[in-house]
Amino acid sequence: MITRQFGSEVRWMLRRPRTIIGLFGLVLVPIIISFGIWTAGDGGGGPGLAAILQGNGMVVPIFTLFLSLNLLLPLVASIWAADGLAGEAQHGTLRGLLVAPVSRVRLLFVKLFGLTAMSLFAVTLMAVVGIIAGTAFLGTNGMMTLSGTTLSTGQGLLRIALFVVLVTFQMVSIGAVALAVSSTTEHPLVVQAATMTTIIVFQVLGQFSSLDWLHPFLITTGFPGLIDVMRDPIPLGQIWDSTLLAGCYLLIGTGLAAMRLITKDS
Amino acid sequence: MNKRKVTLAVATAGVLTGAAGLSLLAMPAGAGQPPSLPDVSAESLVEQVMTAKPGAFGGTVEVDNKLGLPSIAEIPQLADGKHSARIWTDGNGKLRLALPNGQSEQTIVDDGKTTWSWNSKDNEVTKSEHKDSPEPKESTGEKAIDPATAAKEIVTKTKEFSDITVDGTARVANRAAYELVLTPKPTEKTLIREVRIAVDSELKMPLRVAVLTNGASEPAGTVGFTQINVGPQDAKLFEFTPPANAKVTTPEAKEAQAREQLPEAGLEAALQGKDPQIFGTGWDSVIGARIPADAMTQVPTEAQGLVDRFTKKVSGSWGSGKLFTTKVATILIADDGRVVAGAVPEQVLFDTIGQVK
Repeated sequence: MITRQFGSEVRWMLRRPRTIIGLFGLVLVPIIISFGIWTAGDGGGGPGLAAILQGNGMVVPIFTLFLSLNLLLPLVASIWAADGLAGEAQHGTLRGLLVAPVSRVRLLFVKLFGLTAMSLFAVTLMAVVGIIAGTAFLGTNGMMTLSGTTLSTGQGLLRIALFVVLVTFQMVSIGAVALAVSSTTEHPLVVQAATMTTIIVFQVLGQFSSLDWLHPFLITTGFPGLIDVMRDPIPLGQIWDSTLLAGCYLLIGTGLAAMRLITKDS
Repeated sequence: MNKRKVTLAVATAGVLTGAAGLSLLAMPAGAGQPPSLPDVSAESLVEQVMTAKPGAFGGTVEVDNKLGLPSIAEIPQLADGKHSARIWTDGNGKLRLALPNGQSEQTIVDDGKTTWSWNSKDNEVTKSEHKDSPEPKESTGEKAIDPATAAKEIVTKTKEFSDITVDGTARVANRAAYELVLTPKPTEKTLIREVRIAVDSELKMPLRVAVLTNGASEPAGTVGFTQINVGPQDAKLFEFTPPANAKVTTPEAKEAQAREQLPEAGLEAALQGKDPQIFGTGWDSVIGARIPADAMTQVPTEAQGLVDRFTKKVSGSWGSGKLFTTKVATILIADDGRVVAGAVPEQVLFDTIGQVK
């Protein structure tokens, strides 16, 4: 019963034109990055991860996801969360779901599942296109880490898989908070605006060292630490902290959305 | 409806757990209950530290710097704040260091024969082979002074100027440690109040060093392990193969290149020309030197600007110059090229600078 609902939710999401356009846009990112680094030639490079991209195509998916996590992926997650509840409320279809003899908590979990499945799909798609584009444009010879060691292709793929899971989790946590906003309004745009404003404001706040007492509470503080996936051996401290931080947001978002849905008049 | 209330309670609990988790993550890790260890005298603890055989371990070291140094864009590691490094050693001279700097990383590997230094920022490897072939262990052992004697000598020397005590215990990186405290004698005119060294109760290895200055309750600087695992480390960590497309250079080539490029190199050469002179003894000893007059004029304007930005103009019967102060040290550069520095208040430097030859 619930698997059927999960399936129909994902099918419903994939049928929306904006989902397809969004996925298409996401896939362009690794291609543009690979092409850009390839054109820059040996003079390329830059700060951080960008410096080791040349001739190291397997890092492109990690680099792409790391960049996209700051703005693009939260935006996509907020769109899906907005469509999930606010969008349905706008079309008047949410009322039908709320009065149906299906528990409202289950409805929320179906929405959360849809969000998770689509996030994982989008992130994996970006990673796969990143591997292909990176290898095609920049070539590959295993995967060189930030620590100067070279991993075999198999180990490199494992690192990419780990990063895909970590980034998806961050995305779902942001989406869960967006779902909580989504449950309070009938206007999907409000959800997107609120989520994106929050993410941008968090990143701005993160720049002020005088506010460092606030930083551990911001989900965006956890983003840079995920780069540790590219160090060898992997230091788990920051990755673990970022994931726990996102987990707290996931709990808060899901909890608030559930409270709102349960008390909502049909 | 009862079921609805239960679900609502569960959802509320979820929100509260999340919020509690956030505050828990934001809280700095507590030091925990200090362990109870058998009493040990300061002398024997120092001796044990000196005689302890270095073992294999891997860990994370955190430097917490509150020295009050200015933040210079070129050297972010010097600015106040926390920086961490990872270290692995097999206890026999092989070593690996990972120094993350933002999103880049510097890795230094010493495999016993060659030291490799890799920087992800410029995809460059510096390779330096150890000059002399490793001597057999016995001959070096014969030459070295017996560590126990050396320890006693160090204790006697240090005792002239400071009190050495064991001040309770601490838990560092989840290991039990003794707190060895060096306190300068009241007659010492120094900025430093005390130096606390946490010594592992089992390995007799320093786990944390904290420097406390006068008038501050928080340490001005702390270097210590946040995590350590003792025991044999993966042998692969002590090998390094330069990445396929990295540039490999030798330190000699790099130095020649640096000499041409860096403006600081001129200043450095000028300072190396003269042997530094030491004045005084103990904690308030002051190191002095004279920069040749021609070198003073050679200082590039950008370096001069940097100096001006972080120093204070001072003058006295000794002349005039610039004073650079941090919490643990003071540096006085006179306009005629005399330089004195020490872990002392500025007055001591004013009194000493006249003696610089």
